[in-house]
Amino acid sequence: MVEGAGAFLAWAGAALIVLSDGHRGLALGTFVAAAGIALVSFSTAGALASTVLGLGGLISGARRLTTGPPGWAIMPPGSTPRLVLCVAGGLVALWVGVAVMSGDDGGLRFAVIAVIGLAGARALASEDTPTVLTAVSVLALAVAAAVGLGAESPNIVPYVFAAAIAATSSWIPTRKPRAA
Amino acid sequence: MRPEAVELVAFAAVALVLALLVAQPAASRRSLLFRGVVGLAGTAAVVAVPTFDLALLVLLTIALLHAALEGKRTFAVRLRLPLLGVGLLTLGALFARVSGSEVVDRFAAVGLAAGLAALVGLLPYIHTFDSDEPASSSPVAWLAYIGPAAAAVIVADAQGLLTADAGAAFGASLVGVGILNMVWGSVAAWLTETTTAAWRYSFIADWGLALCGFGITLADGKRAALVVLFSIVLGRLPLYLASREAVRGKVVTERPINLLVAAALAGSAPFAGFSARVLLLRGATQLYWPLALVLAAGMLLWLPASLRLGRSMGVPRGRHALGVAAVLALNVAVGLYPLPLLAAAML
Repeated sequence: MVEGAGAFLAWAGAALIVLSDGHRGLALGTFVAAAGIALVSFSTAGALASTVLGLGGLISGARRLTTGPPGWAIMPPGSTPRLVLCVAGGLVALWVGVAVMSGDDGGLRFAVIAVIGLAGARALASEDTPTVLTAVSVLALAVAAAVGLGAESPNIVPYVFAAAIAATSSWIPTRKPRAA
Repeated sequence: MRPEAVELVAFAAVALVLALLVAQPAASRRSLLFRGVVGLAGTAAVVAVPTFDLALLVLLTIALLHAALEGKRTFAVRLRLPLLGVGLLTLGALFARVSGSEVVDRFAAVGLAAGLAALVGLLPYIHTFDSDEPASSSPVAWLAYIGPAAAAVIVADAQGLLTADAGAAFGASLVGVGILNMVWGSVAAWLTETTTAAWRYSFIADWGLALCGFGITLADGKRAALVVLFSIVLGRLPLYLASREAVRGKVVTERPINLLVAAALAGSAPFAGFSARVLLLRGATQLYWPLALVLAAGMLLWLPASLRLGRSMGVPRGRHALGVAAVLALNVAVGLYPLPLLAAAML
């Protein structure tokens, strides 16, 4: 039940990041996705590691609340293709994670595939630095969550590292490209 | 730690020294030193961390730092391909770790091969390129400085993750992507309009050979890949940096030194590229002889592009000449006697 709810939240948060152009929408997406990834990682990573992931997302989302394009801008005009991407991406991730693959932790598999797919697509399609950095922060959390699928008792280091990337990436000073 | 990856980090350290020797203005040298040391530390961390997932997170950190450097391309554009690479590699590793039908293993193999190509910036994913961008913030940093050691780690870890069948599919994917890069890179380096872009494509062509070496899962293939990566890091990269001033000034010369440089870039005897090609052809012959025919035909495409790049070097003088001479001497030494290099990597 908890794993299912976490997987849904992870997808919903990543979808919000895809659908938002404003800093509030991006921050909300980060909070929701990080909460989902933390919940879904709980069974494989343990309480401490999932808390660390959640904390990384919390700091990243809080930072995004203070910088970035103004407002919520969730589903601005012309975002139908992004909505289709979120729904279709979610369905494909669900099919691959639950039907094509077998074994325990189906929720974790779905969450990792959905978040990497949607956050990756957002980063590839956007030219806006705060948006790309938001996508990077949730992608880092998903990369760490995937560790739980490989190891019987995963080390906490990847989770801490990913949380640190998520928390600090929003502070990276980016420069405007020099004119030719 | 993988000995071949450790060796490639050592090559990168030597390449940094050579780069400082051939870099032009003093201000550029200071910036190059700082960026080079940070990049080297990051690459060493990729090699030193104990798990594949941690290596991916370190690569993501390097990608963020590299994208934040001053340059002509936007942050988003510079981050795009390394991010895609990390995403694909994570998905590939996930597919390799979970149980499922045979197709899941195939997806894992393709995901890992595609992730490697995207991370380094090879076809079918290549970075946008600006000829005037400093080398340290351009895609060449991934192609020739961070990429070789990262690729050695990724290939070794991927082969540990995959089953025997999926490992064969991974090898076949690498050979396929390698041949594509060989042909496209060498033809583009020959025919593209600007000389700086030609240099970039020549790195891609060399990577094609390295991927074929990694894909031929025999000892000779691995040996060939290591020597090709040596010739990228300690051959093509410093020569590219040494040529930048002459390329900017559109200087074209046809002196003996230009012919020597062209020979080194083309992989002629007695340079390192030649022994890499011999090892690669030997490995391909053992695996599947028609592959050796395709590779041998592809290798001929290096010649026109290398003559073009050799002429773009100008006539090196002073510190430049010393740097170019050191690069050529190193490449001759490894070309004539690659055994110590291979023994250090336990190959």
